[in-house]
Amino acid sequence: MHKKIGTLFLAMVLVLGLGAMAGAAPDDTIVIGSGAEAVGLDPRLETDVPSFERINVILEPLVTFDVDMQLVERLATDWEFSDDGMTLTFWLREGVTFHDGEPFTAEDVKYTFEWVLEEDNAAPNRALYADIGEIEVENDYLIHFHLDNPNSFLLNNMARMPVVPAHHGDREDFRENPVGTGPYAFVNWTRDDVMNLEAFNDYWGGEPNHPYVQFRAIPEGSTRLLAFEAGEIDMYQGGVVPQELPRLEDDPNIVVERTPGTGYNYLGFNTQSGPLADKEVRQAISRVINREGIVERVLNGIGEPGVGPVPPDLPWFTDEVYDLGYDIDRARDALQDAGVFGEDITLRLYTNENPERIRIAEILQFEAARVGIDVEVTIEEWGAYLSRIQDTDDYDIFILGWVGQLDPDRAMYRQFHTDGPNNYTFFSNERLDELLEYGRTLDPESEESLETYKEAQQIVVENAPYGFINFSEEVLLYHPNIEGITVHPYGANSWQDVHLINKN
Amino acid sequence: MFKYIIRRLLQLIPVIIGISIVVFMIVHLAPGDPILMMLGEDATPEDYARLQRIYGFDRPVHEQYLRWAGNALQGDLGVSIRQGAPVGTLIMSRLPATIELAFISVLLAVILGVPLGVLAAIKRETPVDFFSMVVALLGVSMPGFWVALVLLTYVALNVGWIPMFGRGGSVFYGLTQLFTAFDASELWEGLRYIMLPAISIGTAMMAIITRLTRSSLLEVMGKDYIRTARAKGLGERVVVFKHGLRNALLPVVTIVGIQFGAMLGGAVITETVFAWPGAGRLIVNAIQQRDFPIVQGGVLMMALIFTMVNLLVDLSYAVLNPRIRYD
Repeated sequence: MHKKIGTLFLAMVLVLGLGAMAGAAPDDTIVIGSGAEAVGLDPRLETDVPSFERINVILEPLVTFDVDMQLVERLATDWEFSDDGMTLTFWLREGVTFHDGEPFTAEDVKYTFEWVLEEDNAAPNRALYADIGEIEVENDYLIHFHLDNPNSFLLNNMARMPVVPAHHGDREDFRENPVGTGPYAFVNWTRDDVMNLEAFNDYWGGEPNHPYVQFRAIPEGSTRLLAFEAGEIDMYQGGVVPQELPRLEDDPNIVVERTPGTGYNYLGFNTQSGPLADKEVRQAISRVINREGIVERVLNGIGEPGVGPVPPDLPWFTDEVYDLGYDIDRARDALQDAGVFGEDITLRLYTNENPERIRIAEILQFEAARVGIDVEVTIEEWGAYLSRIQDTDDYDIFILGWVGQLDPDRAMYRQFHTDGPNNYTFFSNERLDELLEYGRTLDPESEESLETYKEAQQIVVENAPYGFINFSEEVLLYHPNIEGITVHPYGANSWQDVHLINKN
Repeated sequence: MFKYIIRRLLQLIPVIIGISIVVFMIVHLAPGDPILMMLGEDATPEDYARLQRIYGFDRPVHEQYLRWAGNALQGDLGVSIRQGAPVGTLIMSRLPATIELAFISVLLAVILGVPLGVLAAIKRETPVDFFSMVVALLGVSMPGFWVALVLLTYVALNVGWIPMFGRGGSVFYGLTQLFTAFDASELWEGLRYIMLPAISIGTAMMAIITRLTRSSLLEVMGKDYIRTARAKGLGERVVVFKHGLRNALLPVVTIVGIQFGAMLGGAVITETVFAWPGAGRLIVNAIQQRDFPIVQGGVLMMALIFTMVNLLVDLSYAVLNPRIRYD
């Protein structure tokens, strides 16, 4: 009898022990957690960060952003704008092969961008490349892009379009089974569960350190964190449960890395609507945004109080702008000067179901009441909300955010140019239009570019089509046994150097 | 019986057509726009118009419906707007995970819930009864996602072999492996992963079944035919199980059927917490992204399964109570 119990006990210990080993991420695999599943893996068709987190490990662009947000070589070894700014030339890396062994050449680059530019293809981001006219292949490793309009920020856009192999690109299942030149090759994918990649040993940048990479989509923030703490995933970036951050930062078994991101949240004002047509009123509402309080209490310290449209890490950023800091008294005075204080002002504020935005809306409602403005908050489902903002002018104020603001053109042209495609505030300023058009013709590294965009930011902030709430911040979590990873300000590029990671 | 089944199946046709029209109308009339959702931040109005044309959304709604219905009749549910893959394939790749989770949750709930309810009923007004009712009350009071988080935090984090998320493998396949190849590893892999999600979903259902079994059995035990059975001198066990429980289970079976059907699409929150790759999440994500073909195809599929389960429930009445006949 005793023997039986002993055997049973031993068996249980064995089972538990074996199981325990199976629970943790295996040593030969880097397991990356992600807050959302990829939509697909074709860079020509995807628009979301989770898709590009994965794509950028499998496929590679000509140039890319490193962790300092500098453009660095990838499939191109050098590049140059002609003196008139109308031709962009790339010298391509030689000896690069795709995962199927075929060589990478200029024809693949040409194929990728021509596919995107073809009107009958469903590339959602065609507009980013619309300034490209003719693409001329001089030889296998030299290619010229002739532009229809000068656009000195075109390179930044091209950094977001990995090269698709011409001999696979028209394959119907490319989106679910891509081939690229990246350090890891696609193996298989169970949607909403797991995506498996294996090392590409002929990678031009050298054999990857670990044989396998696995992406796990875990939508629920607390599950993702628990899975990370239990060691089932090695690391993840973005979507860290904010309330847990102080505890994680104190934990010696967890490394937390933070860096300013490339996005921001804002209040948008319909500058054609009633009292909001008055600049003074918009400024006054900007002044009742308690930015420090929101960052501290609503965002749990993740992020920074907003100043303007350009993220603080970019060289064009300036804080020499009209001061619209939190100041209830000045807001009240400004409304008095504008002659609207004491009148019954009711403004309709819209936001989506994002809990942080809802809390921001509530805070704003309270603060605005202190200066006599009644804010009516309506919360809408994301799809309905997006349609309202993009298709109608049926709103006074809305809360929205931008991500991936990689240069001042992206951060301002589409939002504030009179003809900007995302000018939801209906803002129009002649001088600003001039500056934004001129900025596109300048060398981004020139002093003149800095000056031009400085003035542009000053105009935007002073005229207050937006009330800037906060700059975003990227948070990366990993275990101390991981070496060679640094938090990336642009989430889509987080894992592009995963082949250099060491897991001990 | 056979005729009845045929009749029921024929009745499905108008139901399915009705559902397809209603769903089509709802997704197309609700605010929100799939192209807008897909475009992301960088698109322009020209891009929008171009994609509207490519996907055929510039056509009148009735024309879109007829085209979709025509294809659906030939078994082609269309292609997902966002994912580009055929809707049928997408749904079929998710259904096994969902059905398996629903089945095991129901199984768990029935195995625990029915005995607990019976026990509470026959030991009425004793500590056993109170205990069962407290368990049942707790069960219905705790939301599934909360149970899920508690299980994750206090069980999965401390017990190494219970995974936090994902699906290890098919339990059904594991069972066939066990009986054909005498290999339990597949089954174990599946069970390890399905354990916590099934408990999270099963808890509330178990509670409902316990309460229902108890009240239903109590009602039946007061009936004349039970008194007759007792008067005939039958043993208490036979009275309770053969005469009492069989009749008392009718409402329980109904509820189990409805719950099983509801779980096919309604376990979304639990599926999300455990990152379970089920059909519920596929459809809810599709609703958020206005991915019309998936929503239409998915709801249609769910409706079909739901009505089939209902049919099975109706047929099972006849097994439980031979007086119920279908002809």
